[in-house]
Amino acid sequence: MPKYDAVVIGAGNGGLAAACRMALAGKKTLLIERHNLPGGCASSFRRGRFEFETALHELCEWGTAEKFGACRQTVVDDFGVDLKGHIVPENFRVITTASDGKTKIDATLPCGQQPFIDAMEKYVPGCRKSIEDFFKIGTEFHEAGDYSLSVNGKTDPAYMQEHYPNFLRLGSYPIDKVFNAMKMPKLAQDIMGTYWGYLDVAADKLSFLQYTNMVWLYVTYGAWIPDKTSHELTTGMLESFRKHGGETWFNCSATKILFDDEKAVCGVETTCGTVETKHILCNANPTMVYANMCPPEVVPERMVKLHNAREYSARMFVVYIGLDKSAEELGLHDYSVFMPESADSVREYQSGKTIKDNYNMVSVCYNTVNPDFSPPGTCVVSLTTTFSGDDWANVDEEDYFKTKNMMANRLIDRFEEKLGVTIRPYIEEIEVATPWTMCNFVNTPQGSAYGYELSGWDSMMPRMMMMGTEFPVKGLKFVGASSIRGDGYNSAIFSGNTLARKTLSEMKEEEEG
Amino acid sequence: MPEVNYKVGLIGKLDMLKFKNMPKVRNAAIDASPSTPLKGIEPTNEKAKAHHPKQIEFVIDDILQNGPDAKTVILKKKDGERLPLFRAGQYISVDVPIGTTHTTRSYSICSSPALAKEGIYHITVKRDDAGFVSPYIQDNWKKGDTVIASGPQGHLYYEPIRDAKKVVALAGGSGITPFMGMAYAIRDSYEDFDLTVIFGSRTEDAIVYRKELDEVCAACDKVHVVHVLSDEEKEGFEHGFISADLIRKYGGDGEFSIFMCGPQAMYNFLDSEIAKLGLRKKFVRRELFGAIKDPWNQPGYPEEIRGRTFNLHVVQCGKEYDIPASADESLMVACERAGLVVPSRCRSGECGWCHSKLLSGDVFIPEKTDGRRAADLDYGYIHICSSFPASDVAIDVPAKPVDTQ
Ligand SMILES: Cc1cc2nc3c(=O)[nH]c(=O)nc-3n(C[C@H](O)[C@H](O)[C@H](O)COP(=O)(O)OP(=O)(O)OC[C@H]3O[C@@H](n4cnc5c(N)ncnc54)[C@H](O)[C@@H]3O)c2cc1C
Ligand code: FES
Repeated sequence: MPKYDAVVIGAGNGGLAAACRMALAGKKTLLIERHNLPGGCASSFRRGRFEFETALHELCEWGTAEKFGACRQTVVDDFGVDLKGHIVPENFRVITTASDGKTKIDATLPCGQQPFIDAMEKYVPGCRKSIEDFFKIGTEFHEAGDYSLSVNGKTDPAYMQEHYPNFLRLGSYPIDKVFNAMKMPKLAQDIMGTYWGYLDVAADKLSFLQYTNMVWLYVTYGAWIPDKTSHELTTGMLESFRKHGGETWFNCSATKILFDDEKAVCGVETTCGTVETKHILCNANPTMVYANMCPPEVVPERMVKLHNAREYSARMFVVYIGLDKSAEELGLHDYSVFMPESADSVREYQSGKTIKDNYNMVSVCYNTVNPDFSPPGTCVVSLTTTFSGDDWANVDEEDYFKTKNMMANRLIDRFEEKLGVTIRPYIEEIEVATPWTMCNFVNTPQGSAYGYELSGWDSMMPRMMMMGTEFPVKGLKFVGASSIRGDGYNSAIFSGNTLARKTLSEMKEEEEG
Repeated sequence: MPEVNYKVGLIGKLDMLKFKNMPKVRNAAIDASPSTPLKGIEPTNEKAKAHHPKQIEFVIDDILQNGPDAKTVILKKKDGERLPLFRAGQYISVDVPIGTTHTTRSYSICSSPALAKEGIYHITVKRDDAGFVSPYIQDNWKKGDTVIASGPQGHLYYEPIRDAKKVVALAGGSGITPFMGMAYAIRDSYEDFDLTVIFGSRTEDAIVYRKELDEVCAACDKVHVVHVLSDEEKEGFEHGFISADLIRKYGGDGEFSIFMCGPQAMYNFLDSEIAKLGLRKKFVRRELFGAIKDPWNQPGYPEEIRGRTFNLHVVQCGKEYDIPASADESLMVACERAGLVVPSRCRSGECGWCHSKLLSGDVFIPEKTDGRRAADLDYGYIHICSSFPASDVAIDVPAKPVDTQ
């Protein structure tokens, strides 16, 4: 039976990062992936003369040529992946109705703290101080995170209190409470809350710490996209893994995890044969793995309870459109536009439960940032909405195509109406992905892309604080969106990298006896 | 000390305590939750699995002669359950084991989507005597045999958001099959558009689906058929090849989309005819090109390799093989000849199902069937169904996937 130091199950962002880290450390590593491509959510597909990005709107924590973000340090400096891409100059444009139900919002927010603050003051006169303070707090959070990493999570409470008091005081609250405490004008809160959909948690449950961290990173380090779609990023990581001696089996599913008498991992059964290993870094969903791949006696009751307590997060619906006119000709100038019905995220989150009520959406036009994203004279637009409930499970197959197109038409109509543009006659290629599509390609439960809901008790901070007890099955760790930091490319890569490092130090301890 | 200081509660110290207590709160939420066994599959995944099976097991319900050289095979789902609903025009990729060779071929589903509910798809297999698979199927498949195929695949279907309300379908020979599916779908209200099929056959007697086409046209005023005979001049038929003039004649003045399906020679001929119409790309759609059988006729072919045989080193999920590979055939065919089972669907370079890593050596990839993603070119990934060896070559190929829980 072939034997590996470690087996990585799943080649999503999390799995790829874990695999790279293990191979880089010289460990004999096998990466298995049920699909025939790397990337999971982070991929691309071709139709006619277009190549569509499957997921990425904005890669967070990347940085500029002068200032590298942590994600870029991991992928480029550590893994040696050579990538070309573009910085997205604007964080977002938001067109919606304020939570007062009356005021119209149409605001475009540039990257960079100072330009962002100035723009906010322009849209909501008098909000400057609260926005400035928001970024100061963000900087404090960021430094607290760095400190925590530097001491391996063993933080000194007195030091924390002295240097990072806001972190400790505000860290347990949802954003609505903290924004109020900061006396941020309601209209400014509405705009500042725009990114909630990236975590798919409404303002009353969205961790201020996690949200601020994300917004701070997007604004401070800018957002980034690879020139040749996510497939460039994920194939790049795969190649780094191969170059460092890693072995990959595609179209190969893990079906069973094998355990020894001490209930520690000793191997994996796959559709391409069984292999021996003591360490699994798993990018497949934990609930599914505990339920389908582990004998019940090895799964601690606490893990069963934890996963019964969790909700899946963000079932995706995307309309991918290739247009036979350039962005300029069509009057498309914005990179990404958020168009919820209302800036009231609690209401929007509720509407996201059903197909009937979901009118939320974000559009991206890649060519506004990367003019060569598609052939000359064409451009690519994607329209995305997330579902916070499982209504797609209620769709009968007989109605599937009709439901898909009804939803796609709704998004196209709204896009045209809100931006005052016409795209319909120029649609050369179109593909619609529903939660069923996500299930088919990535096999996440309910077609979710964000793992488990990061709300309240189960947001990033408590997950991170409890990292030590998060993976009680010996030799089995979970990486990716369902892991310690939640969704997003950067967070998935972070968890893969971090948990691979943890595995490496465990291996070292084992060796030293 | 930081320059800003906020608190949410009245007392900052309590805010800090609340922070410290987050693990406690989380543990409490975990403790309060039930320990009922975890659910191993969710309803959306079940729906998706039924809709997108990796493979389907059929039993042959019947085989009917259809014109002089075609046979229609009625496939019924083996377990009697319903089959995935498909977009009329889609195909299935059928597994065909012949001796030690394990290969596949694509066949359009030519029956109505309504029959999927009853667990039935029809496919039509036209005999090509120079071919490897179609004579085998015609001579060997019989009622009651088991057939394994993929779920519905492909993108030649009507998309109301994208296509014109009127479709002019250009069909050659067995290329009528996707349009049969579309005609039935319109008749049975699964699709809603005007379909005019310009159907090229050699002679009147060679027309496949003659009767069925007449019946659908009679039953449904949205479907029209124009027969074009190349080898015969007869009243009531157009004569010659499908030309720009004919398309103009039946397309009319309004907007229409062209859908094409037929042999490669027909595409090559039609490319220049359609160019004369000056249509936008979005209005011209074509079925898979099919496997290229004459790489030496493709632009850029390195003439010196023609007829040569190279060594092909294959790595596949922990196993390694050395096999011969002819420069005249794709790497996929070399694998299949050697008895390897590799993933294949479209066999036209388009679907990416056979995406593999080129570890070393040179390959020739005809431009017509180069459906790779941009980053694949940088990192040496190829579609083996449309790559021909131009030296000794080593590749890392995925397994043929199977359905799991
Ligand atoms: C439409 C859309 C837009 C998005 N936009 C953004 C964005 O702008 N910015 C951002 O940062 N994030 C975005 N995201 C989120 C981001 O893509 C995900 O959170 C992240 O990629 C998740 O990575 P992961 O490591 O959890 O892996 P996943 O993508 O979940 O991949 C898991 C992998 O494991 C494989 N696998 C599962 N089971 C098995 C098994 N039994 N055996 C073998 N392999 C298995 C799967 O096939 C898959 O390849 C978006 C997501 C979507 C869908
Ligand atoms: S089988 Fe479709 S690209 Fe090779």
